[in-house]
Amino acid sequence: MKPLSGIRVLDFGLLTAGANTSAMLADLGADVVKIESGAYMDPFRTVGQRDTAPGWWNRSPQFHFTNRNKRGVALNLKHAEGRRLILELAKGCDVVVENFRRGVLERFGLDYAALKAVNPRIVLASISSQGDTGPNRLHASYGSTLDATGGMAALTGYADDGLPRISGMDVNYPDQVVSLLASGLVIAAVMNARRTGEGALLDISQREIASFMIGEEIVAAGADPKRRAPPRQGNAQDGIASQRCYRCTDGRWVAVTLRDANDEMTSKRVTAQMNLAEWCAARGASDATAELNAAGLAAAVVRDGMDLIRERNLAGDTLAWLPDGGLVKGMPYRFAGVPLVVERRAPDLGEHTNETLRELLGLDDDALAKLAALGVTSAEPERI
Amino acid sequence: MTRPLLGITILEIDGPHTPLCIRLATSLAAKIAADLGARVLKLEPPGGDMVRTTPPLLPADGRSALFQFLNTSKRSITLPTDRRAALDALLAGRIDAALYEEGDVVAAALLAERNVARVEIAGWPESMPQPHPPLSGFTVLALGGLLDMVGEADREPLRLGGHQGSYPAGLAAFTALMAQLAAKNVPPARVSLVEALLWVNWKAAAGAHADGKAPTRDGTRSEFQVVPCADGHIALVYGVTQFDAVAALIADPRLNDPRFATRPERRRLITEIYDVLKPWCATRTRAEIYKAAQARGIPFGAIVTPFELISDPQMVDRGFIVDMDGLKMPRLPVLWNGTGFAPSPLIEEAGR
Repeated sequence: MKPLSGIRVLDFGLLTAGANTSAMLADLGADVVKIESGAYMDPFRTVGQRDTAPGWWNRSPQFHFTNRNKRGVALNLKHAEGRRLILELAKGCDVVVENFRRGVLERFGLDYAALKAVNPRIVLASISSQGDTGPNRLHASYGSTLDATGGMAALTGYADDGLPRISGMDVNYPDQVVSLLASGLVIAAVMNARRTGEGALLDISQREIASFMIGEEIVAAGADPKRRAPPRQGNAQDGIASQRCYRCTDGRWVAVTLRDANDEMTSKRVTAQMNLAEWCAARGASDATAELNAAGLAAAVVRDGMDLIRERNLAGDTLAWLPDGGLVKGMPYRFAGVPLVVERRAPDLGEHTNETLRELLGLDDDALAKLAALGVTSAEPERI
Repeated sequence: MTRPLLGITILEIDGPHTPLCIRLATSLAAKIAADLGARVLKLEPPGGDMVRTTPPLLPADGRSALFQFLNTSKRSITLPTDRRAALDALLAGRIDAALYEEGDVVAAALLAERNVARVEIAGWPESMPQPHPPLSGFTVLALGGLLDMVGEADREPLRLGGHQGSYPAGLAAFTALMAQLAAKNVPPARVSLVEALLWVNWKAAAGAHADGKAPTRDGTRSEFQVVPCADGHIALVYGVTQFDAVAALIADPRLNDPRFATRPERRRLITEIYDVLKPWCATRTRAEIYKAAQARGIPFGAIVTPFELISDPQMVDRGFIVDMDGLKMPRLPVLWNGTGFAPSPLIEEAGR
């Protein structure tokens, strides 16, 4: 039994924060209809561009990672007929997910009030950098902007160079955690809408999520003047006796946590009283880790991206390998007896436009031809 | 605004021998449900949850700020040494779903026996051959590849601040819990810290798969760097198409050098570019730089401390940080029809 079967999602989600929230709902059984158009594609189609041959916008790895299990519909919101059809679709949907720049949805007449007017049960998940309100509501950010402005970067860094650190462009950590929470919030809102007949506007601020991820530090700083200038202490951590990475003979790093004096004694026993740095420098990372683990200590070789795709037992269900050798995102959890299956690869731009409009709105060939002639359903990128 | 999970009862079953890193995930998931209005019974093991004594500690009374953050809006019951009987009695009541932890064989057996909707929080993926080595939040970051992504290429990999080895799993467990409640007979769910972290770090895997080479930490060789400014630090973050906008903002002719025309060349010459950017930042405040950049749509980010967030105008306007019994406590990061859900202090019930 798929928990969200029967739930339909209209997906305006872009990049990771928005598109992946819908993807997580799709994985749980929702029918997710991703709306783009030739006039406005998910930027992941461009960010991940690999070549310039026709159809390049359908080959971005980032787009494929984040949009599998969805149908793809092209409807141009700049066209009145496109906007009318969106409202028609919204009547039969439970959820709308969007992370446009603030103001875009209003400009298209598709804000919460408009959606609610056609479907009082609808849940609108509005994901934005700073939230829908407040003096900074129009401010732009990337994930690493929020590392900084959310407070985590101030707590991240080596102890000796005074420099705060961000997760960087190949992680953009604050973007990655949004969907883990937002998809759960959407499910709670859908359950509530079923019970009460009332939908909801979920105004989700990515910056607030970034700060929530260090919530205890806000509590501590608010109560303790000594924590106003936060400590950057490398890999060390309050309450942990010793924690750092050691380089081994093979050049690889091993991360080791010694929780307390007992762990430190154990470590001394394993290393025959040598310090861990010297001991690790004299052996390979795997051997060092195995010896420390065997003594009951938390130690692990620092993995890189190649390790993640090589070690399939370690990746578990988080990566999904396609029959053609392709790789896309899996799930962050597992349901007993339910194997991870990617039912659809990510859609080409507009791949399911006609079949979806036929099925959901009952449009016939004439109506679809008219939309195509007007350019409403064009799936040719306008700007490259 | 009625809270959406009002009327739902959830057990957070804290195991007697659970590692700290797993407990943090369990408690975060349950806290979110509690702040959304669910009645959450936190069942602490005999002797209490170890997070009660985990730093940071509050100077006034030595309570743990971490415990306070992770256990808002819950009711706590400390189970007696015979957990089985106490747990069995609790499960006889109406329970909509439970969170429990790997290694808690008593909870696992009782929940399965009564077919309670449930989410297990674990350390390692189920697909990892046993025995599973001990874990810490730090080694989770190593295993998920996130450690490799932060810091300088020639230095020790660096952890992100806070408990990021645990919290992604906590968020995932919350969503899995909601999925349990969304329909009848949803199979039990399992979340592991390593999988959740690896899932978050998918770009490392995607990059490795696409290029045959892993992206890795490149600190002060990166296009995005943190640099000092007049009153702190600023993160210079911008889109791949925004270099011209950055050059216009800095208005230093050296940035118009034709050698900086393409992104691959800019990456190669990044030190030279930062040699121009750094002095410009050094004479300006965070607020000046942030404001000037935002005016051009450039998403530079001022480095803000957790303390500064408390008086940050945007955070204040949205009521993100609320006063909870004298503590500055972040609310859930969502406004629900315009309303924020203020967290309330944990209620301690008598032990059973």
